[in-house]
Amino acid sequence: MTAPRTQRSGTGWRVRLRRDRSLLLMTLPAVLLLVVFNYVPLFGLVTAFQEYDPLIGVWYSEWAGLYQFERLFADPLFWGALTNTLYLSFVQLVLFFPIPIALALLLNSVLSTRVKNFIQSVVYLPHFFSWVLAITIFQQMLGGAGALNQFLRSNDLATWDVMTNPDTFALLVTAQVIWKEAGWGIIVFLAALAAINTDLYEAAAADGAGRWRRLWHITLPGLRGVIVLMLVLRLGNALTVGFEQLLIQRDAVGHDTADVLDTFSFYYGIATGDYSYGAAAGLFKSVISLLMIWGANKLAHAFGEDGLYRR
Amino acid sequence: MTQTLTPRTTADTEPDAVRTAPRRPRRGGRAPWEEPPTVAGQAGKGLTLGGVLAVMLVPLWIVVVTSLSTQGAVNRAGGLVIWPTELTFEAYRVMLEDATVRTALLVSLGITAVGTLLSMAVSIMCAYGLSRSRSLGHRFLLALLVITMFVNGGLIPTFLVVTGLGGYGEWWSLILPGAVSVFNILILRSFYSSTSTDLIEAARIDGAGDWRILWSIVLPTSRAVTAVMALFYGVGYWNSFFNVMLYMPTDSEKWPLQYVLYTYVNRGNGLPGSVNAGFGTQFAQTAPLSLQMAVVVLTLVPLLIVYPFVQKHFRTGVLTGAIKG
Amino acid sequence: MGIELNRRRFLGITASVAGIAAAEGLLTACGGGGGQRAVGANGEALKAALPDYVPSALLKPDIPSVAGGPDVLTDPGFLTYPSNRVATVSGVPGNGGRYSAVTPLWGTVPPADNQFYQAMNKALGVTLDMKPADGNNYATIVPTMTAAKKLPDWIQLPLWWGSSFNLGGLAGTQLADLTPYLAGDKVKKYPNLAALPTGAWRAGAWGDKLYGIPTSSTGFSIAGTTFYRRDIFEAKGITADQVKSAEDLMNLGKELTDPKAGVWAFDDVYRYIYTHFGAPLKWRVDNGKLVHVYETEEWLAAVDWCYRLAKSGYMHPDALAGDNANAGTRFYGGKTLIGGGGLGTWNLADHLSGTAANPNYRRGAFDVFAADGKSKPVVYMGEGARMHSFLNINLKPEQIEELLAVANYLAAPYGSVEYTLVNFGVEGVHHTVDNGVLRATEAGQKEVQATTYPFLASPGSIVQNLGADQVTKDYTAWQAANVKALTKPVFWSMNVSMPQAQSTADAAQQVEDTLKDCYHGKKTVDDVKAAVASWKSGGGDRLKQWMTENVLDKFGTGQ
Repeated sequence: MTAPRTQRSGTGWRVRLRRDRSLLLMTLPAVLLLVVFNYVPLFGLVTAFQEYDPLIGVWYSEWAGLYQFERLFADPLFWGALTNTLYLSFVQLVLFFPIPIALALLLNSVLSTRVKNFIQSVVYLPHFFSWVLAITIFQQMLGGAGALNQFLRSNDLATWDVMTNPDTFALLVTAQVIWKEAGWGIIVFLAALAAINTDLYEAAAADGAGRWRRLWHITLPGLRGVIVLMLVLRLGNALTVGFEQLLIQRDAVGHDTADVLDTFSFYYGIATGDYSYGAAAGLFKSVISLLMIWGANKLAHAFGEDGLYRR
Repeated sequence: MTQTLTPRTTADTEPDAVRTAPRRPRRGGRAPWEEPPTVAGQAGKGLTLGGVLAVMLVPLWIVVVTSLSTQGAVNRAGGLVIWPTELTFEAYRVMLEDATVRTALLVSLGITAVGTLLSMAVSIMCAYGLSRSRSLGHRFLLALLVITMFVNGGLIPTFLVVTGLGGYGEWWSLILPGAVSVFNILILRSFYSSTSTDLIEAARIDGAGDWRILWSIVLPTSRAVTAVMALFYGVGYWNSFFNVMLYMPTDSEKWPLQYVLYTYVNRGNGLPGSVNAGFGTQFAQTAPLSLQMAVVVLTLVPLLIVYPFVQKHFRTGVLTGAIKG
Repeated sequence: MGIELNRRRFLGITASVAGIAAAEGLLTACGGGGGQRAVGANGEALKAALPDYVPSALLKPDIPSVAGGPDVLTDPGFLTYPSNRVATVSGVPGNGGRYSAVTPLWGTVPPADNQFYQAMNKALGVTLDMKPADGNNYATIVPTMTAAKKLPDWIQLPLWWGSSFNLGGLAGTQLADLTPYLAGDKVKKYPNLAALPTGAWRAGAWGDKLYGIPTSSTGFSIAGTTFYRRDIFEAKGITADQVKSAEDLMNLGKELTDPKAGVWAFDDVYRYIYTHFGAPLKWRVDNGKLVHVYETEEWLAAVDWCYRLAKSGYMHPDALAGDNANAGTRFYGGKTLIGGGGLGTWNLADHLSGTAANPNYRRGAFDVFAADGKSKPVVYMGEGARMHSFLNINLKPEQIEELLAVANYLAAPYGSVEYTLVNFGVEGVHHTVDNGVLRATEAGQKEVQATTYPFLASPGSIVQNLGADQVTKDYTAWQAANVKALTKPVFWSMNVSMPQAQSTADAAQQVEDTLKDCYHGKKTVDDVKAAVASWKSGGGDRLKQWMTENVLDKFGTGQ
């Protein structure tokens, strides 16, 4: 850009290389692994521009230009899936995201170590249940023939249809995610809480700061970096919402309610052998996700936060 | 071995001598600066956590009860069993008596240990390498990392690369392709770049290089996050069997535990299509559902064993305090 | 978070590929492969390549087969196992070659290099490295093998995954052409293979060449039917004969449903009932013109009936919520009393599961009926064998001959010396004989999987549930009662390989999705009609044209 700056980086480059030599060396193994196992396979993306046949391979498949994308953008099911994705993502962001943080703070405030440890050891377990099992449990508790509704029925009360109601599906899905993942989600925040220096609390208390002011002025700032990082990553992942979870419940609420981008490219791409169509949907999703994480990161910078990297 | 024979001695002699810093009372005590808890606050807290616990424990109960139920009990319930009626350890017996399970346990332990060590080494180095602000190329490298979180070439291309490198049927194909989790690196990096910056600057002035800083300052001050990341990676390796399916789907003597257990889940499932299986039908006498739940319980057990080791690193402030003192 | 979640997601994909393929088995099997190069089908030209049929009569079944139309024959039933066993193969078939063999396994994997494998290798005269792979993920495992060109020497590739595997494309590029070894009377060199019915071979052919060795071939090939709880029906004084029309069946719903007791009459039934309304399986020919099932009034009537059923309150709420996985336990538990299912469930394992819940448990199936109660009852046949094993194209001719000789051994009929070893292992080690009933020992339970070798080659299907004769009697009686209803659909046992665009239209994912929502009561019949209309304009009409030009006009209907 301006002359002095070019000059500075020109001379600074070698100095910086010498200074940061070991830092670069440290990143090398990870970068190598990613290049080999993530970047090289990217040649597979060209299938989105082909009429790909897995048997004859990428090299010999016919080229189709932007045909798959034209099909995609003309497909009302695709736009439906995109809308569902964004809607579910938004609901989960609002209702799910704060819960692990709140839970971590709550747990951290429990005084008895034994109680704290016990609760911690229990709440993370549902993370290890498969979605099939998790949803079977929901079905047996809340389903039309589940424990709750059989109880209502035996008392001649109206039954409550929650597992198959498309209108409340987003809430159901979010409730399932909270149940399954909130406990596991607190672990990172607990680690962040452990990194806060206790001296700060002591000093603040000496200055007369109460419990809530200490939370506001010490604890939350201590967590801020991690929270912002998680938020940025969540926004980048806004187009990814529970694939397997939705796949299993697709029949329960109907495909136009449950289909998100991932299930769309699965059902209308992979499952029917229309690989290139699925690849096109996948590539679309990747590009938008990258744009979103870039935007989220900019937003973080605008609020004076680090986000993924320092400005 | 010898340690287990004399368990007390190590515990008694080691700990407090090393950690010189005065520590606030733990074991249920309240820090001196904290206000006494209010009744309403305690009640609210208790109710909330009690509710959370109940919601988590009820399904766990169902899973355990089902895993201990006879086929008759499962079929009468028409699914998962809530109230125990006929209990049996049959499902566990069937699983644990299998010689394949024992080999697979060793395989799993090996893969988890080697994989976690490798992943941790690679990730810690990478995270630290990217955590120093204004270092050369760190933004480019970060972008390189982050892109892989969102863009991938798909199953078959990845498979072709691994097999092209000779990974078909090799152990490393279960470890290397998934060894780097960018998510984990980003978290580590976020911790590294926000903690103990003053200590690092001090050490740098004393002439310490980056390797030394990483080893003797950054790692000791971030043990909580290190433990958490090891947990994430360990769990990932322990649970993974998708790669097994791709790279050694037919080498049963190399299968890790999760994959072998998974075959139990399928056991007794009817074949798709109109095949009237003959002799083998006599084997499918344990209810598939109780077996499936026993598999779930069995996969939770190692976590219940390992988790306390991670948990003990979660004590607020102890370690940073120790370094400073 | 992080990596674990991703791995789980992948897993979901594969698990459901298998699930879908299995559930929609019959439909995909009809569609065949989706390759681009080998476009076409097997039709009349194939006749010269088909092996001659030389039936063997080793053992007189306790319940003999009943013949229906051409290529239709019920499975024979056996109530005992013969103590006097005949050998059908003299000497050892192999010459000491070493081969790898992969079969899908729905069960626990036996230890590698066990006593059973050793005994088999000794008897076969070859070293077969048996490598069972997980059945539920087979549809993912095989495409990776073919992409890397790493197929084993011998592999089982079920037809219902034909499009996932692209069988039409693999035939001749990675799978060996067996025509030169088996066509016409050449098969007589392998008498046990010659005893497999022609229809079974036909299903393993592409173009006019033979590729697959049929396993579990049957003359009574239908995908499934509508089952009911015979014990509970009988206790209530209901007999299945009362059901002569769709309305009769619907009326049972009212009688049997009792939500307070947690009992609903119906589970999902659409899949095996829509043809009762006169709808074709997928295609039919009206006045020389091809008509797709979606275009027929009869199909819409079936959809309408299923929609009314879903709205009637007679269907179990979990079934309406799409929970198929627990359909079996619901049936055993008496929570549902009527449901569609594959014929493969009617066996000893089912009996054991059911009686564990209720000692009176007895499975029954409705006789095939016409929905209007007046027309001739019809059920469409699937291929004569739905599972075939294939040999690698890289094998030398003498190796292929060696493996065919091994296949001949594996296909030895029920009750022979060979059959006993293949299916029950070594007496004293893997099984003991107790009053004419073979019982597995501990070693037998671990090492002898019912499907290990039979998935490479096996004799024609028989019905045999040693120790539960009632099941054998019920099932064979039902087959006999319905044998006349079996009808060949258009393009029967013809493997059609179509270009991708047609293959996508053939799968008709959007119509199938809307249809499923409809028979679960979430979409109306009008929604289905709209989906069909958009399917027709979006590729369905072109599919019909393609099928007319490339299959119907060139190869005929195959009926």
